[in-house]
Amino acid sequence: MKTIRININGEWKKLKVNPQDRLIDTLRGQLGLTGTKEGCGEGECGACTINLNGKAVLACLILSVQTDESRILTIEGLQKGLELHPLQTAFLNESAVQCGFCTPGMIMAAHAFIRENPEPDMQMVKECLANNLCRCTGYEKPVKAVLAAACSMRETNHD
Amino acid sequence: MTEAYTSVGKSFQRIDGVDKVTGSAKFATDLSFANMLHARLLRSPHAHAVVRHIDTSDAEKLNGVKAFATIFEVPKVIQYWFFLRNEKKKQQMFLCDNIVRFIGDPILAIAATDQEILENALALVKVEYEPLKAIHDPLDALKETGVTIHKQGNIAFKVKKEFGNINAGFETADVIVENTYHTSKQKHASIEPIGTCVADFQSNGRLTLYSSTQLPHWSQHYLAEIHGLSLNAVRVIKPYTGGAFGGRCGLIHGLEAMCSVLSRKTLRPVKMSFSRTEDFSATESRHPMTIRMKTGATKEGILVANEVDILSDTGAYGTHYIGVIADCLSTGVGLYKIPHYSFQGTVVYTNKSMSGALRGYGNPQMNFAQESQMDIIAQKINLDPMEFRLKNYRPAGEMDPVLNGMILSNGLEECLKKGAASSGWKEKRVRPPGHGPLKKGIGLSIMLHGTGAARALPDPGSATIMIHSDGTACLMTAAADEGQGSRTVLAQVASQILGIDFKDIRVSDTDTDITPLDCGTHGSRQAYCGGLAVRDAAVQAREKILVHAGNILKTKSNQLRIESGIIFDAFNLDNKISMKDLMQKIQIQDMGICAQIIGSASGIAPAMPGYYGAVFAEVEVNIRTGEVKVLRLTSAYDVGKAINPELVRGQIVGGGVMGIGFALTEGLLLDKGHIVNPGFSDYRLLRACDVPPVIPIIVESNEPTGPFGAKGIGEGAMVNVASAVANAIYHAVGVRLTDLCMTSEKILGELQKH
Repeated sequence: MKTIRININGEWKKLKVNPQDRLIDTLRGQLGLTGTKEGCGEGECGACTINLNGKAVLACLILSVQTDESRILTIEGLQKGLELHPLQTAFLNESAVQCGFCTPGMIMAAHAFIRENPEPDMQMVKECLANNLCRCTGYEKPVKAVLAAACSMRETNHD
Repeated sequence: MTEAYTSVGKSFQRIDGVDKVTGSAKFATDLSFANMLHARLLRSPHAHAVVRHIDTSDAEKLNGVKAFATIFEVPKVIQYWFFLRNEKKKQQMFLCDNIVRFIGDPILAIAATDQEILENALALVKVEYEPLKAIHDPLDALKETGVTIHKQGNIAFKVKKEFGNINAGFETADVIVENTYHTSKQKHASIEPIGTCVADFQSNGRLTLYSSTQLPHWSQHYLAEIHGLSLNAVRVIKPYTGGAFGGRCGLIHGLEAMCSVLSRKTLRPVKMSFSRTEDFSATESRHPMTIRMKTGATKEGILVANEVDILSDTGAYGTHYIGVIADCLSTGVGLYKIPHYSFQGTVVYTNKSMSGALRGYGNPQMNFAQESQMDIIAQKINLDPMEFRLKNYRPAGEMDPVLNGMILSNGLEECLKKGAASSGWKEKRVRPPGHGPLKKGIGLSIMLHGTGAARALPDPGSATIMIHSDGTACLMTAAADEGQGSRTVLAQVASQILGIDFKDIRVSDTDTDITPLDCGTHGSRQAYCGGLAVRDAAVQAREKILVHAGNILKTKSNQLRIESGIIFDAFNLDNKISMKDLMQKIQIQDMGICAQIIGSASGIAPAMPGYYGAVFAEVEVNIRTGEVKVLRLTSAYDVGKAINPELVRGQIVGGGVMGIGFALTEGLLLDKGHIVNPGFSDYRLLRACDVPPVIPIIVESNEPTGPFGAKGIGEGAMVNVASAVANAIYHAVGVRLTDLCMTSEKILGELQKH
């Protein structure tokens, strides 16, 4: 067992983890943050995308011990009280959600992406979401939602 | 009347949206209970073998290993739920023996306190196999090879039907076209892997199962049989489900049955979750088919005869093998007026993972063959493919000879015309394919798919609605929402009839203790079958409301109307009461009444109406590489009435993209029964950067038997995409692909033959 300190959704926590624990297991198991989904465990589907120090990463490919002293943001950390993040609102407004299993991963991929690319065009968004498989929507609406969210975040200076 | 709708026809936000965008939606894989054990399966490495002995003695010694369940004691469920109809059939539903029939067939399940112990325990189990010769090619299943997969033989099912006189029909034909088509073993590839449940067998002798299933009541029924329990001792709860597409309405060997037996042995909750590899290699897929089709037409372009012979590969076990081949028959015969039609279907067992239900059932396979044939014939008699279809399709007012009913609504002509206009069909059809290596083409195809399965299967739908004392309502339905949005649509139906705001209607989770009998989600049935049940339940509740309101407002209840939560006299608008005040009065204030308004309904739909669609695919083929790019898909579907147009468009676009995958990239590859691409790196789904614009067009033909005129959409949206793409490839480069999926290698091979 090794002790790590991480900032999870704004709160610093000390955790005891096994050296072989994947971050996704620590998040979903020990921390109970089941919004991060496991679709393949092989880094192919993107359902477990979270933000690690502001970058979009796959929680199934990272060991928990590697995240010591890091800031982690998961889907549960986006909402402020009952107020949704502009990305969440845009996914609702654009009907970009069907079964919803890939949705948290898509939103977290987009969240890191918009930080780096506040004024993306459609092709850039498609390339960003190309890491996230979705079997229901055909991607068109999620792409529109990310564009709409980027626009609304610029207008309101939202991060 | 349509203009007056306040809920139906509105693109309201889905009722489960906030749960899903915030990560608070709990899927089966997210569930965890105190004292819960984890379970995993040991699977066969052999395509066909006798399991002589299972030695668990070393595994048992591991600390934390709690229970075992083997195929010697836990039966496989090998038939669909209509086999519960009588005792004789019921005997055929379960199979308990010591044979494994495909690589990945479960042998035993272990329950332990954590995953690491499980892994170690699985490695310590010793299994003694006697390998048997296996059948990999469905053609070998028809021969005398000495290999018997099931004791009743390797032919699972045979069907032969003839309408008219096929030989006489071909005698009247001026043009006859005959081809053989092959289709691939497509996978559902829902992003939540197929196969997760938690079984909780409690010391009171009751079993609760949480499962991401499309058929909660079916799981309840067969688990009651397996455990010898009454139905009221088995409770099935369906949490949020991460996509299904038919993959969760098959029988997932080893999952619910094994898990519940482990829970019974330990009296602890037991959770089993298949990995992505298990999903790909050991759950159901689309039936691969070989379809020989001979089609005849007159030189004027009138279809006269079609002869179909299908060999369908159901793999090691059959669950949907009868339904899928029957669907080929009904959709093939139903779409066109062809006076002489002969259909023969043979379904065989092979030593491969099972085939089952996948969006479209047998229709995408049948449609690929038949719609390719139609284009070939149209070209031979020099008729525009659209004109050819308009001449021959079976319109409303005609009898459907298989479903044996009058077609009451068919918007196909409008689908074709609107799709043609939007896609630029006429201009693009005569446009030269282009200079250089990139050639453009456009192709179309049409389809028919049935809504629900009334009279083909036991197909009940039910609903209960209760109105709370503040005028809000709760709708209880087992219409399993897998992500398509049926809960939202059903709330809109209830809202429209009750005059209660959509936001004030909550829809319960599916729970067999609470939600009444429903056949589950399959056959694009929930807007129609579920919608009818909700409509009838809401009408009953509404009648009760109006009786009370009539008494209070001192007027005849038949002249009362409800709008936006206000009940008023149509002849005296000032004479009114709000739903909230009325409910307060009758439920709490008036101690002489104290009754809650409850409406309920249950039964089968009056029909199995067909819904129709036309897809126009525009492609670009690189003749140097064989690569095909779909540039645009225009998909027009007649859904009767779109209760929520945005959700309908979501089905059309998502189905279109799944259809392009079926056409170009998807299919499991097998080597002697071993699946060589059991993951997303080698089984290629389309990604966001691969998809073309899909233009959804909604046509509303108003199905008279449907709730507000609605019928289905979910499956149809992918049915005729592959055929449209194949027809477009032909238009672009003049080669006819008859083998799915149409990879660049195959296209290049065909181009080089020219």
